[in-house]
Amino acid sequence: MKRLIPLLLVLLCLAFGASPARATIDDALSFALEAADPYVKEGFTVREDYWGGDLAVKQTKAIVHQLFKGNEYWFWMGTDSKNAKISVHIYDSDGNLAEVEAFDSSKKAHMAGARVQPKKTGTYYLIVEVEKSTTERTTWSLAYGFK
Amino acid sequence: MKKALFLALAALTSSVLAEPAAHIDVTKLPTQSKMIDDVVVPVPSEIFAVLDKLGKPNWVAVQHKMNGVVQAPSEQPQIALLLGVVIAEGFIAVEAEDAAEVKQIGKSVLNLTKALGVQKKAQMRAKAITDAAEAKDWPGVRKQLDKALDDVSDAMKELNSVELSHLVSLGGWLRGTEALTVVVEKQYTKDGAELLHQPILLDAFEKRLANLKPKRKLNPVVNKVQKGVLEIRPLMGLPESGDISEKSVKEIGAITSALVKEITSKSQP
Repeated sequence: MKRLIPLLLVLLCLAFGASPARATIDDALSFALEAADPYVKEGFTVREDYWGGDLAVKQTKAIVHQLFKGNEYWFWMGTDSKNAKISVHIYDSDGNLAEVEAFDSSKKAHMAGARVQPKKTGTYYLIVEVEKSTTERTTWSLAYGFK
Repeated sequence: MKKALFLALAALTSSVLAEPAAHIDVTKLPTQSKMIDDVVVPVPSEIFAVLDKLGKPNWVAVQHKMNGVVQAPSEQPQIALLLGVVIAEGFIAVEAEDAAEVKQIGKSVLNLTKALGVQKKAQMRAKAITDAAEAKDWPGVRKQLDKALDDVSDAMKELNSVELSHLVSLGGWLRGTEALTVVVEKQYTKDGAELLHQPILLDAFEKRLANLKPKRKLNPVVNKVQKGVLEIRPLMGLPESGDISEKSVKEIGAITSALVKEITSKSQP
């Protein structure tokens, strides 16, 4: 029995430790997809692939991504943390701000977004940031769509 | 009054602070700004959406018509690459509005996914592809083909076959790129050729191929694909200001065409 206790503890940790983390990323993604919803009606196709993780306040993350001139893109960011202020911005390969429109979570709780109409086909940088939060780490997720 | 002025100033300052920087140095991203390594490969419909806006190419001339349902080769890496090629062919058949070919492709997808052990998820999708093709619902077929790629990728991840899922993406990308070069070559414009400017994707493919398990890397088809990707890299990965010349488009077309032929070898009934 004594030998089983550590195993049971590990299983309990896995059961109660792993699922909330997964759940919060899924929750963050739900908010990102909720932000996408009005644009789907405008003809944007939402990709199933998404990025996600957690960040401390004032910490940013850069995602390098291929965009095609001729398409229009929306990037939608979500967080499960209601009081967090999150943002996403898009830069071209020369480091110039490329978005034509953006909103952060001060306008819509849990959500941020940025729209770009690439002037060139090539590499773009998506910079996600947690600007304010009441928690040490804030879970985020980023989805995108094109038309 | 003073209080109102202070509040207005505070609000202004906060809104100014919230403005994103107009320029960042992408070569010196802050240390806390960790780059995410996982590159998302565009789905074929993302590229076809651009092509739609460029005009009406003769897609029938771009098609590689199949003689019957595609048969699975013996080795899994080649099957995975072939599955990607077949799905991309489906997109070209949609552009050519070739319902018979799309149906054939639906059956081929089923055959190949069965050989990879992921046919359960693909079954419904293959039916949806065939149904949409019968109804000539071309945007619907496109959507289903995109989802077929997602289904296969998810099923393979469940089976811990992420490497094979990457090979499916790569196969699709190679056939899509070959088709793109044919379209661009027919009526060369700098704008059209710019679609081939995809350095980060090539870097990602190069890295994924280099990290394959040794036994997969030994597969002769994978080996040739790895060499081909390295050959294409300088042609498609020019600095952002550089134009992709007509000569480069031809070279990219020749390399991708040879690789697609290699992948589809031993697959015709």
